[in-house]
Amino acid sequence: MFDNILFILSASLTVVGAFSVVLTKNLMHSCVYLLAALFGTAGLYATLGADFLAATQLVVYVGGVVILMLFAVMLTGGDQDKENKFGITKVPSMGNFKTFLAGGVSALVIALVVLRLIANVAKQNPQGELPEFTSSVVAIGTKLVTDHVLAFEISSVLLLGALVGAAVIARPAKRGE
Amino acid sequence: MNSTIVSYLSQFEGHKKFISILSEALGFDATYLVAFLVFFLASFIVVNVMALVGGLGTYAERKISADIQMRQGPNRVGPYGLLQFLADGVKMITKEDIIPRNADKLLFTIAPLMALVGVFGSLAVVPFSSGFILTDLNVGVFYLIGVSSLVGVAIFLGGYSSNSKWSMLGGMRGASQIISYEVPVTLSILAIVILAGGLSFSTLVEAQGGMPHQWYILHNPFTFIGFFVFFIGALAETNRAPFDLPEAESELVSGYHTEYTGMRFGFFALAEYIEVFVVCGVAAAAFLGGYKVPFDLGTGDLLVNTLHLPPIIGRNIGQILQVGSFVTKTLVLYYIVIWIRWTFPRLRVDHLMTLCWKYLTPIALFNLVGCAVWLYAFDGQSVWELLSHLGGASSGGH
Amino acid sequence: MSSPNLDVYMPIVILMAFGVVAVVGALLFGRLLRPSNPNTLKESPYECGEEPIGSAWSNFNVRFYVVSLIFIIFDVEGALMFPVAAVFKKFNEIGEGAVLLGSLLLFILVLVLGIIYCWRKGDLDWVKSFKLTDEQIKQLNGIEES
Repeated sequence: MFDNILFILSASLTVVGAFSVVLTKNLMHSCVYLLAALFGTAGLYATLGADFLAATQLVVYVGGVVILMLFAVMLTGGDQDKENKFGITKVPSMGNFKTFLAGGVSALVIALVVLRLIANVAKQNPQGELPEFTSSVVAIGTKLVTDHVLAFEISSVLLLGALVGAAVIARPAKRGE
Repeated sequence: MNSTIVSYLSQFEGHKKFISILSEALGFDATYLVAFLVFFLASFIVVNVMALVGGLGTYAERKISADIQMRQGPNRVGPYGLLQFLADGVKMITKEDIIPRNADKLLFTIAPLMALVGVFGSLAVVPFSSGFILTDLNVGVFYLIGVSSLVGVAIFLGGYSSNSKWSMLGGMRGASQIISYEVPVTLSILAIVILAGGLSFSTLVEAQGGMPHQWYILHNPFTFIGFFVFFIGALAETNRAPFDLPEAESELVSGYHTEYTGMRFGFFALAEYIEVFVVCGVAAAAFLGGYKVPFDLGTGDLLVNTLHLPPIIGRNIGQILQVGSFVTKTLVLYYIVIWIRWTFPRLRVDHLMTLCWKYLTPIALFNLVGCAVWLYAFDGQSVWELLSHLGGASSGGH
Repeated sequence: MSSPNLDVYMPIVILMAFGVVAVVGALLFGRLLRPSNPNTLKESPYECGEEPIGSAWSNFNVRFYVVSLIFIIFDVEGALMFPVAAVFKKFNEIGEGAVLLGSLLLFILVLVLGIIYCWRKGDLDWVKSFKLTDEQIKQLNGIEES
């Protein structure tokens, strides 16, 4: 019974949050709604028995990415309605025919691709019971250092690249050069 | 694996009997209902005790600061001024609720809520004793890091939504400080996880013993340093002085909650005091042996064997001793946190960031490597075990 | 086959619900007790008695953004290292600790390289120091003399 409650709670949080992200016109508000959607996604992972993934979702997305986005919004001027010194008030108006067309077409394409993927997966794995609830931490850890040790190491190189890239991009341009 | 307070209770006969009686009376299997009721009651108790701890925390803060500054402190309401926090609560709830005209009303309302929800969520995994832990998740420590980061978002949103320059500065500083200090804190917890071999709080605590030399803080030199790195980082994450830059009252008026009045401010304050308790509890659980009681009194076996008590009573006395041990350690750390606040001057913003990124993070990484190598080289034995081996070997040689 | 036991998440949901109920309940209850006489001065942001000029929602300094970017990298590294750290002891007990120690140390080494890079390039400095050219120093000296 609680399985259903947890699923309904997190799914509705995700869906409502995701819709609010696109429906609101305030950038800050949409960041907060995104937080709700990401939080709900963590709940969905928990429903599926992927406890470590759920916690990672909390740590990385709720704690990190949302704050990064809030900072990024503030970096470009918090409120679009107010004037700011970079003159970003002149954002091309959203919600005209062209944007709706582009958005609609891309949503259609993505939906088709996702549906195909899900259909394939569903065909191969007929619906059944979820695996026994054991610690996914140990399973992930064992996989990371046995079968996927190369991926584990390469991901550190990827993160190094991301770190250097972030530092280079965000470094303010030197004056007088 | 995932043990909860329900799984602890279900080993007693009375619990099963209660379920069967209730099932007969209601006509369906009441296991579920009872589990829900137990969780609800336990959560209710924890939340209320924590609210009390938060309230008494404000009282303790004033009393201790008064002690340090040779003042009286609150002494009018109740004996020794003990009921001061209730008077404050009544005052806050009857204060006019002011939302600034230019504020972002939605975020202004959501921010205190988010802070409180984040802190309450983190209470679920605090190990009060081996039985009384609301839920012992497999990913306990990691979950706690994640859910308590909601407070950082809340502080930023509180600062942003007020549309006041002081609040904005406080919120910006708060968010960047909290996320920065999360790095050394996470890394020093990671070192403990390596030694204990698990992420759940029960694994962390059970790997330690009751006596101080069995605690992780004295396990090896790296964990000794790691405790201080963790504690400094935890101070900064909860915005306690000397890291209270987000609300630096001498420069930013009151920081991110400048515009908050009445109960809305009260929730920020309550969240802060409860969060201090939670991080002190994590420090106690991860480094100071948590709920472990010396001589294995916590399991109750000794009491049962020597005093010939019935096992149920013995176990429950053991549980009470465990709760006492955990709460004592946590409150001692709580006292130290307040003591530090009234002793050290506040850091400057650039010093704060330098301390985090140039001192604590490299030290924490070094500790992590040290602990990993230690576990591999000495099979996870502590310094004392190694010394006793040495002593044994030398005496055997004679 | 048993479905996963999700009851362990029940206290979390209950506690978070308590949080929401506490905030909403106290604010609604307070509404019965508290006065409400808003006026313009009360509702203006606090600026030490001065008339507030402009909005507080101004542009951030970029260094806050840099800090949060570096933080996310560390966050992901932590998320990757936690499961490995959790199985370290088990691997060590069956005598495979060397492999794990090696891969963990390599992982941390690459991470340390990143920190060293950021440190050397001055991205970890909050207050940026910069070298003046001789000409600029001359100009500054000229200002002081005149």
